[in-house]
Amino acid sequence: MNAGLFRPASVEEALALLVRLPDARILSGGASLVAMINARIAEPEALVSLAGIRELQGVAELPAGGFRIGAMTRHREVAAEARFTGTLQVLPQAASVIANATVRNMGTMGGAVAHADPGLDYPPALVAADARVEIASKAGRRQVPAGQFFVDWYTTLLKAGELVSAVHLPAARPGVGVYHKFARVAGDYATASVALTMARVGEGIVTRAAIGGCGPIPILVDEANRLLSGRPGSGEVRRAGELLQAAADPIDDVRGSAEYRRMLIPRMLARAFAEARAAAGTQT
Amino acid sequence: MSDALHVQLEVNGSAVTLDVALTETLLTSLRDRLQLTGAKRGCNQGVCGACTVTIDGVPVRACLSLTAACEGQAVQTIEGAGGDPAIAALQQAFIEEGGLQCGFCTPGQLIAARALLEQNARPTIEQVQEGMSGNLCRCTGYHKIIDAIRKAAQRLHP
Repeated sequence: MNAGLFRPASVEEALALLVRLPDARILSGGASLVAMINARIAEPEALVSLAGIRELQGVAELPAGGFRIGAMTRHREVAAEARFTGTLQVLPQAASVIANATVRNMGTMGGAVAHADPGLDYPPALVAADARVEIASKAGRRQVPAGQFFVDWYTTLLKAGELVSAVHLPAARPGVGVYHKFARVAGDYATASVALTMARVGEGIVTRAAIGGCGPIPILVDEANRLLSGRPGSGEVRRAGELLQAAADPIDDVRGSAEYRRMLIPRMLARAFAEARAAAGTQT
Repeated sequence: MSDALHVQLEVNGSAVTLDVALTETLLTSLRDRLQLTGAKRGCNQGVCGACTVTIDGVPVRACLSLTAACEGQAVQTIEGAGGDPAIAALQQAFIEEGGLQCGFCTPGQLIAARALLEQNARPTIEQVQEGMSGNLCRCTGYHKIIDAIRKAAQRLHP
């Protein structure tokens, strides 16, 4: 039988099904896939549900430091995760503004990451947090930086027969994480968003900012991060905003024009930076 | 279309067996097969909240839930929630405050409001706005719904 709903009990079993059924789609929380089915954008003959796979559930602290967020971890769980302190606050902040409370009970980390809609809140937050995406294939597991995992509109490094099994976060560093989203109404996809982590490292401050909703993938510019690190003045922050603006590749859509999105970027960056600096108590 | 899938689940306390297509949503099964029309089909995209039900006690969108994936789970719709004191208090407060006009969104509002009050017994206006942001209403302008939920909260936790 090649049609139907399959409920593997392990990642390995799921991968074997994906190899045997190349047209099958993975069902995690359903928040995006079932909406696509209802809109007749997707018409799967077979679905591989990840709901019964224990290792994909929940957040685990890693012995070497950092966290592993299982692919089936719901947005609600990440939003409420008290262990994501310091720079990792960027994750709960992003999770808590995804859609609405009911959809956050359904949607999952793995589903959001694999779907790679540029308007989603997790991609820029994961890039700012320097997260890695764990990909499972028949050859084993590999981890790739979030900044490399997203490659184009709705396109990731995932190949046929592979699945996202988890997201790994580095250990929380002292400092803050901030996520700001600009949307038309509560719960909408981001017109533009800024994810920013500000870490105290020894005597220094290391800042990392990523822009969402303004192109096919989250925007990260090394030179902008260099300008935002240390104790920058308003000129450096403005220059960083201009660099991110120049790197953006937004489109015109119902949420805003490309020009409007470009105007948002430096303003949102400056606001997120000011909030982070105030929260980090590093104002000089 | 794939072969029918045999699914056993519990709906409002009763065991139910259904034969459904792979892509049939719980909302379609509830409304078209079980004649439980309390949950409404508004957007069918998970945005409007009119189809909100609970699965194993957790509020979800019935329109984003596949029936075939509900095997062994317990679904509650507004039709099965009448005996719940929290729902009764919310219904009474919605009536008193005028928290509905056409009523289309009300079943979803009530299920979502109950979940909000379970997590936050005395929410502020802002917390109700945030907690209920996934349930659209085109009649009331929301103020009366917010007032109703806070009134019910006061009565449930005086």
